[in-house]
Amino acid sequence: MFIFLLQTLLASLTPPWRWRNLIKQIHFIGMRSLFVIALTSIFAGMVLALQGFYTLSRFGSEALLGPAVALSMIRELGPVLSGLMITGRAGSAMAAELGIMRIREQIDALEVMGVPPIHFLAVPRFLAGIIVLPLLTSIFDVIGILGGYLVAVQLLGLSSGTYFGGIEAAVAMHDIHTGLIKALCFGIVITWVCSFKGYFARRGAEGVSHATTSAVVLSSVLILVSDYFLTAIML
Amino acid sequence: MAPPPSPDHPSPQLLGQRFLKAGCITQPQLDDALAAQSSPLSTGPDNLIGRILVRLGYLSPPQLRACLVELFTEECRYYRDHPPSSPPILAMRNVEKRLDGRMVLNGIDLEIPRHCITAIIGVSGGGKSVTLKHLIGLMRPDRGQISIDGENLQSLSAKKLQAVRRRFSLLFQGGALFDSLNVYDNVAFPLRETTPIPEHEIRPRVLQALSEVNLAGMDAKFPDELSGGMSKRVALARALVTQPEVILLDEPTAGLDPIIENSIHHLICDTFMRTKTTMVIISHAVPAIFHWCHHVIVLHQGKVRASGPALAVWESSDPVIRQFIHGELDGPIRVL
Repeated sequence: MFIFLLQTLLASLTPPWRWRNLIKQIHFIGMRSLFVIALTSIFAGMVLALQGFYTLSRFGSEALLGPAVALSMIRELGPVLSGLMITGRAGSAMAAELGIMRIREQIDALEVMGVPPIHFLAVPRFLAGIIVLPLLTSIFDVIGILGGYLVAVQLLGLSSGTYFGGIEAAVAMHDIHTGLIKALCFGIVITWVCSFKGYFARRGAEGVSHATTSAVVLSSVLILVSDYFLTAIML
Repeated sequence: MAPPPSPDHPSPQLLGQRFLKAGCITQPQLDDALAAQSSPLSTGPDNLIGRILVRLGYLSPPQLRACLVELFTEECRYYRDHPPSSPPILAMRNVEKRLDGRMVLNGIDLEIPRHCITAIIGVSGGGKSVTLKHLIGLMRPDRGQISIDGENLQSLSAKKLQAVRRRFSLLFQGGALFDSLNVYDNVAFPLRETTPIPEHEIRPRVLQALSEVNLAGMDAKFPDELSGGMSKRVALARALVTQPEVILLDEPTAGLDPIIENSIHHLICDTFMRTKTTMVIISHAVPAIFHWCHHVIVLHQGKVRASGPALAVWESSDPVIRQFIHGELDGPIRVL
């Protein structure tokens, strides 16, 4: 698996650059995930605000609700939930597509034609993951904070100035960097694991189904494990 | 018998001359066809000598087919009596391969002669497809040596292997067409990805390849809209479009009805007659394959049981070969 990652990294530095493939993958992973990211993030922000308000009000600290929602979103929930959603939506499709290409001998056909399959198939997905995950995470963060605003301000009566003022005072550039670096790492994990599992799928339809399942499970686990270590390093 | 024309220089004029010699057409008809072909107005996929003869009304399509079959049969006879003297383009020496603990190739020694159609036949599970994948470097042997043009395949770097593979085309058993691309893009794919040919030159080549496999006008269809026979023909067009030195065909007629099977055999024969491309075919189409191939290799239990001119193999007294080619139930091959 590490050799596959190394080969992908090396191939991504080698021409020819397949811009059309890259744009296609950015569209597939990014654009087509926007709706699910928006939906997840708004409800994540809303529930966070609801829970946060209930907890903070016990201590008379409702004014800290804005920073609590924003920091949770930017540092943790944004990258992790985006990563998990992209794994479920795009990672599984990636593994299944490559798996089907493998069992239908399309990957062998590429090799026979003298087109390096890793360069042609894995590199555009890998680069698209690196580009798209930080962007989707940023969108997730913004919509999540707005979801928190809906609940905190419109539903629970917190003043809008308190909510946004607290965010402005509490969120530092370092927090944003932390979230984006995590998103970038998760982008690598998702595209690496899902491409690898699909690329080496075996034994017909059952093999593709197994590859897809294990790609989603392993990516999700790796996202959560690496999130802990990244947090520990960047705190 | 006169030797067939030099395989290195297949040209329409040459094919026309051979039509003339075989008595299919007359000299004035050939002159007309060649004049029509050299006309600046005559370009594109319909500019093949056979098609021009049909267009001018000198031959009907069945007559053209019959002519091609006659020329091919003559050539088979020639190769039977004059085995190729040039060194083989592909060779395997004592190749062994074990898959899932089972010895699939057990010391294979074989040679693929240039500018011939070679058939690899044998019972199912006998290692034919594995042999083909070894020949093109898709699988690595556990032991033994595979050479292409005298060069050891295993010692080639990844980059060199890629360059060597570009001299080959492989028609996979299932076609291996890319589902996300339409017929045109599937056929254009190897040209776009492996050659610097500009798009405006790719188009006529792709249309010609599609026309050669009788799929003109189908270029916008996607693989899931094609029948099995059409998919095979698109895959054949993709294999032909790069004008490779060697075409490997893995069961090109498997699962097709007898008419489509026959039409694919004609296509292969037609292509060979025009281009003299070396071809290696894995097939179960016995006895038909003996009419189409110059050279036959029989694999049995991971070894080469027989190898030689088609007629010599057909007339072999080896009980295994006899049982296989006649499809007999009784004999040394155990039927499960």
